[in-house]
Amino acid sequence: MKKLILIVGAILLIILFPLFTNNMYHLYLMNRALIHSILATGLVFLTGFAGQISLGQAGFYAIGAYTSAYFTVRLGLPISIGVIAGVVLSVVAGFLLSIPSFKLKAFFLSLVTIAFGQIVWMLVINLTPITGGPYGFFGIPFYSVGNNMLSYGQVFWLFGGILLVSVFIMYRIKHSHFGRAMLAMNDDDVATETCGISTKKLKIAAFGFSAGLAGLAGALYAHLAGFLSPEPFTFFESSNFVAMAVVGGLRHMSGGVVGGIGLTLLPEFLRFGGWENYYLMVTSLIVIVIIIFVPMGLGPILENLFRKVFKLKRSNTKTL
Amino acid sequence: MLQDILQIIVSGASIGATYGLVGLGVVFLWLTISRINFANISSAMLGAYLFYSFYTQLNLGFFISFVLSIAVIALYGLGLRAFIYEPIRKRGGGRLEFVVATLMLCTFWLNLIIVTYGALPKPFPPVFGGSQDFISLGGIRIPTLYLNIYLVIGILMVFIYFLLNKTLIGKSFRAAAQNREAAALMGIDVKVTTSLSFILATCVVGIAGILLAPIYFVSLELGGGSIGVKGFASAVLGGLTNPYGTILGGISLGLLENFSTLYISSTYRDIISFSVLVAVLILKPSGIFNWKSKKI
Repeated sequence: MKKLILIVGAILLIILFPLFTNNMYHLYLMNRALIHSILATGLVFLTGFAGQISLGQAGFYAIGAYTSAYFTVRLGLPISIGVIAGVVLSVVAGFLLSIPSFKLKAFFLSLVTIAFGQIVWMLVINLTPITGGPYGFFGIPFYSVGNNMLSYGQVFWLFGGILLVSVFIMYRIKHSHFGRAMLAMNDDDVATETCGISTKKLKIAAFGFSAGLAGLAGALYAHLAGFLSPEPFTFFESSNFVAMAVVGGLRHMSGGVVGGIGLTLLPEFLRFGGWENYYLMVTSLIVIVIIIFVPMGLGPILENLFRKVFKLKRSNTKTL
Repeated sequence: MLQDILQIIVSGASIGATYGLVGLGVVFLWLTISRINFANISSAMLGAYLFYSFYTQLNLGFFISFVLSIAVIALYGLGLRAFIYEPIRKRGGGRLEFVVATLMLCTFWLNLIIVTYGALPKPFPPVFGGSQDFISLGGIRIPTLYLNIYLVIGILMVFIYFLLNKTLIGKSFRAAAQNREAAALMGIDVKVTTSLSFILATCVVGIAGILLAPIYFVSLELGGGSIGVKGFASAVLGGLTNPYGTILGGISLGLLENFSTLYISSTYRDIISFSVLVAVLILKPSGIFNWKSKKI
């Protein structure tokens, strides 16, 4: 019942938000926040549930974005096929990146993922015929149905729907046989292996799923922005994504959403609060402080807050 | 042809040795607290910018500027322990929290430098010899800059050797690195050795930053470019626990880079070195220069 209220609340929030504001910039920003939430949700799945660190998530993001851009602009295919191609290609890359994780743990694995992200970034810069290199990739079509371009508000609904679906899929996986095995692997993968569970399969699946979500986010971003430059795909973006997952709460379903929205909007709030030069500095300081003082992340705190609010209301109605 | 190859060996080895110094920062922290400071390379950037401001803006002279900037970097190392490592450990944060905190610290320093110095690279004062100074040795031109890099790294390695092997504090550092609990039971103050490892880590990377500045300019490249990853790579090649192996790992990485520039292409130079890093990690995670992993 409580969960139903939460889900209905989330859907209502997504439906109502575009009706409140007509400011294009705010809507664009919220769309970016939803894209980041999709990506951070995948990272929560990979790191929080399956226990594999990835500092190269921007690599998948880039693969998704450039694949979809290439398919729609150079090959003239519809957006939906471009997005699907981007997701498929990044899932394949995710499968490949899961191979080192069979042998390596923690820091060594994160080094491999950093190297992966850097290699993709270098390819983005140097493969000028395909990616446009440092000059950028222009003329990527915006979302449209038939001949009608969608408005930012409608795109917001689309992205919100995709985010809800991916969180729901993740929720179902977490509470399945598969998800429990994954949580067990996070605690101790040798013990899990001795129970007859193939940790290799779990790792392949976890990397594939989170890479797919990152590729999806990248493809969605490509069509939202209309052009691509190498900047959103650097190592710093990868570390930003990990920060979103950690600030949101690594072991909670809501972690990706809270972190993605929070860390996309916080710098913008600071920027408009008269901190033009210092906002990135202050953002990173705030993240450090949150990590030190709330290592569990902000997601569970918000969840508890919601739960308390709803419980209060429900108990009130009961007594009344 | 042979001359070209020798020339490339000289320059590759000198730049590689500085990668090794950056890697040393990783090794010292890994030895004592088994954590990786992802803001490792920020110390290099801070070192270069501090030296730049002391030397060119305050005109303090080479020696005083050098000592002052290293002293500030040492203080930064202590602060890193007091304000990042200890609070996270106390609140039960694991490795991942430390990783993210240091990643954010890296962003913080980059933006602080952008705000205070601007994003444009600054020319480094020619304290290690100008760009045209070189010594001819049988047809090979060795820039004085590279000679100075070798000199500083040589002095540093001798210093580290004596500090770790001949002094009491170095011995307690090694003991605590091998087994924290046992060392604490033997009456070694683990807090002191942890502080020492933080200071060593930041100072060595700071010196590397000052040495790299004439090559890369005093620029943000030092704090956010691929040099940091190459530092990690050289530490991994050396097996993460062996300071001398790390320097060797850095040198071989520098050589590999220069030879791939010569024979393949300069655009794919970094891709090749990162691929080698991944291959080494997968095939031999304990490092290729790890002859004596127990002893440091």
